[in-house]
Amino acid sequence: MSKNAQQWQQTPALPQTHYVDSRIYTDQLLFEEEKEKLFKPSWIIACHESELEAAFDYRLFTHPTGVPLIIVRGDDMKVRAFYNICPHRGNTILYDPAGNAKRMTCIFHQWSFDSRGNCIDISRADQGYQKRFCKEDAGMREVNCETAYGGFVWVNLVDDCQPLKEFVGGALDILAPFISEPLEVFHFHKAHVRTNFKLWHDTNSEFYHDFLHYFNRITGMMQPGYFDRKYTGFPNGHASVGSMEIKYDKYEGSKSRAVGWPGLATGGWYMVDIFPGMTYNLRTSVLRIDTVVPLGPNEVIIEFRGLGLKRDTAEERRERVFDHNMIWGPFGRNLHEDLLGVHGQGRAMRPGTDSRWIIQGREENSTIHDEVGMRHFYAEWSRRMGRPAFDPYGEGKPAPVRAAA
Amino acid sequence: MVGFEIRQAVEELVYRSCMMLDDKDWKGFLALCGEEFRYTIAAHSPEIRRDMVWLDHDRKGMDTLFANLPRHNSDHSPITRHATVYTVDADTAGREATAVSALQVFRTQLDGGASELFAVGRMTDTIRLDGAASRLLRRVVRLDTRLIGYGYHVPF
Repeated sequence: MSKNAQQWQQTPALPQTHYVDSRIYTDQLLFEEEKEKLFKPSWIIACHESELEAAFDYRLFTHPTGVPLIIVRGDDMKVRAFYNICPHRGNTILYDPAGNAKRMTCIFHQWSFDSRGNCIDISRADQGYQKRFCKEDAGMREVNCETAYGGFVWVNLVDDCQPLKEFVGGALDILAPFISEPLEVFHFHKAHVRTNFKLWHDTNSEFYHDFLHYFNRITGMMQPGYFDRKYTGFPNGHASVGSMEIKYDKYEGSKSRAVGWPGLATGGWYMVDIFPGMTYNLRTSVLRIDTVVPLGPNEVIIEFRGLGLKRDTAEERRERVFDHNMIWGPFGRNLHEDLLGVHGQGRAMRPGTDSRWIIQGREENSTIHDEVGMRHFYAEWSRRMGRPAFDPYGEGKPAPVRAAA
Repeated sequence: MVGFEIRQAVEELVYRSCMMLDDKDWKGFLALCGEEFRYTIAAHSPEIRRDMVWLDHDRKGMDTLFANLPRHNSDHSPITRHATVYTVDADTAGREATAVSALQVFRTQLDGGASELFAVGRMTDTIRLDGAASRLLRRVVRLDTRLIGYGYHVPF
């Protein structure tokens, strides 16, 4: 039965934890609040250590709050993170997205900084400042930075932030045996999509949308063990998904992924979603990492990385690149479908479309088509935002919940 | 510098191959390819300072990719390839040529028909020369554009 306007506005007949108000995906004020309450205090993956192999190697990263960062390996080989903002006149210090810079020099007035964030040169300092202001006053703004959990470089903007280990908790334990040896990034690209960042994280937090993917239906959903995969929720909004044996050879043109991954069972596949917008995705022979960088309530950049083992032979690496590209490359079978999916959501949820409720109500004992992963995320979202995702403006008159038959 | 006939045969083949792909005439496109054909899309990432391969298929792989397309959910907006053959070089025996072309790809929205630049890059084709029966042996599309939104299922 179709609905009239009043019925369309009525909340779903499900517990309030099982749906969210779609305005949380479109509201500019909520988005600004999310940057402050979700992203700023969270540890965020900025890059991987293999992108900074030598002393003075640097990598730029735009933090989801908008802060431009420089991640740099120091003369002491320690990786640090600084604002890419000159403390003099607020200019951009480094422009290229990656490189090697013994001195980081602002092109504007040639103030220079070393890899530890110290200002080492102010042009004509004495003539202009007469000792009233000196290099010691002009250090770069440093932010918390740690390399961990597979060699990823994590950053946190808050001085006295929660320790990374405490933030992650046990969420990545499931992957620990597989990411202990040195890894290497072989693929990086970004996707700019007109959608809300949470919708991408939602896609990574539920497998019910495997119906979208012919590849996953053939190699996974129709294979034994698929419906045994389970979600596990962790504190701070993280969640993991257990493994199964993917039958890659069931898709014509795919391969059995013989190169595998040390310690991982044949065809194995683990996923871990880290709040508020990162995903570890270890699928048989390749580790994929997604990091969202939201640009607005309906605009996001997603950074995609593909990683193999640092010790890969050329042939092993070729195999991993092939496996990666088959489904996850920019021309891959699955990534385009996933991005189309969230693009469609963004299209349908723009302000004024009268989109209303997003249902996350599937309960299947936390197995693969259960939507508990999303519910877990929105419980944390609600806690941090101080407003329930099902009623973010406190308007609520929920419909009675219908009991299970 | 190659002669007029070789250049004409090469240009004809490159342009026909683009038209076939634009028209989604997969069989027609593969008919322009030799049995040993290989298609690669590559790009350089200044972010990770590495060359990347984004797609790499032999002829059979391309055949399968095309055959599987109807089973997938894809963006149905048509794309239009604009190639300009810059240089053509041939071996001394005149059996094989290499053509370097500039490539621009435009995407046209189905609703309203707005066209937008999708990607730019350079295409290097290796061609077995045999007059009207010349065939593509290798195509390497090296993309400058790396931000392609929600992507596409068909190689450029």
